[in-house]
Amino acid sequence: MLKMKLSDIINSLSLTVVVGDVERDLEGVYAGDFLSRAMSRVEAGDLWITIMNNVNVIAVASLTDAAAVLLAEDVSLMSDALEAAREKDVTVLSSGLSVYELCVALGKFGTAS
Amino acid sequence: MEEFSLYVLDIVMNSVRAGAENIDVSLDDRGGLLTFKVTDDGCGMTEEQLERLSDPFFTTRKTRGVGLGVPFLKMLAEQTGGDVKVSSVAASESPESHGTTLVATFHSNHIDFIPMGDIKGTFVTLIQGNPDVNFTFVHETDGGEVRLSCAELKSVLGDGIPLSSPEVLAWIRGYLAEAYEEIK
Repeated sequence: MLKMKLSDIINSLSLTVVVGDVERDLEGVYAGDFLSRAMSRVEAGDLWITIMNNVNVIAVASLTDAAAVLLAEDVSLMSDALEAAREKDVTVLSSGLSVYELCVALGKFGTAS
Repeated sequence: MEEFSLYVLDIVMNSVRAGAENIDVSLDDRGGLLTFKVTDDGCGMTEEQLERLSDPFFTTRKTRGVGLGVPFLKMLAEQTGGDVKVSSVAASESPESHGTTLVATFHSNHIDFIPMGDIKGTFVTLIQGNPDVNFTFVHETDGGEVRLSCAELKSVLGDGIPLSSPEVLAWIRGYLAEAYEEIK
């Protein structure tokens, strides 16, 4: 079980905050781009790492109550997705690292249950 | 949803929930271009509802505020270089003649397209769960055509034998298995 705040990993991994609140506790991590699968696998409080950037990502994050979406490889949100994230209070972060590099960097915080 | 048949099930169930009595489902998968078309005589949608159809935060469902059926279909279509078009006439505006037509196109040999999955099982599931609906299923491939009309089946069987009865479903399964074997 991870026990940290979003803001801790933002500082540690030098993530960019695209939109949203960063004070939430982080419960775990899920990485993957297949949205219908993410819909059933992302758990409340998870950090979800993906390279998908459309509005459906925000819908899935909202539905699963993810703590934040972390966009890898400097992917930027499409404009309607950014608007939806603001409206639905979904936190979106971004990084130039790949999904793999992000997972490796997150490894030092412990393993998600 | 890792198989196309699940998208078919999901989208056709929208027509069922719209109270349609007749639902035509066609899959034209020839020459690397797949066209998935659903036509129903359900309650239809207003222009405003239609505009918001590809917005995942729009749904008529009351249980949760997210509807991903059409958004996911659109995403898959666009990932393969295709698109989704929906036209509709709302029952509130035209009580005599209403319904919805959805046409989705895909390049089925595109690297991001997904496996077709169990299409015939999907047809059987739809009939089993909704025996009163008159489905017409047409699946055209480079090898030929598979066709199933629930209205025709009902006229042969007569009233009193629902399409969801085990014997009828077994027959439908057998018929589809044979038909798909022929166009393999």
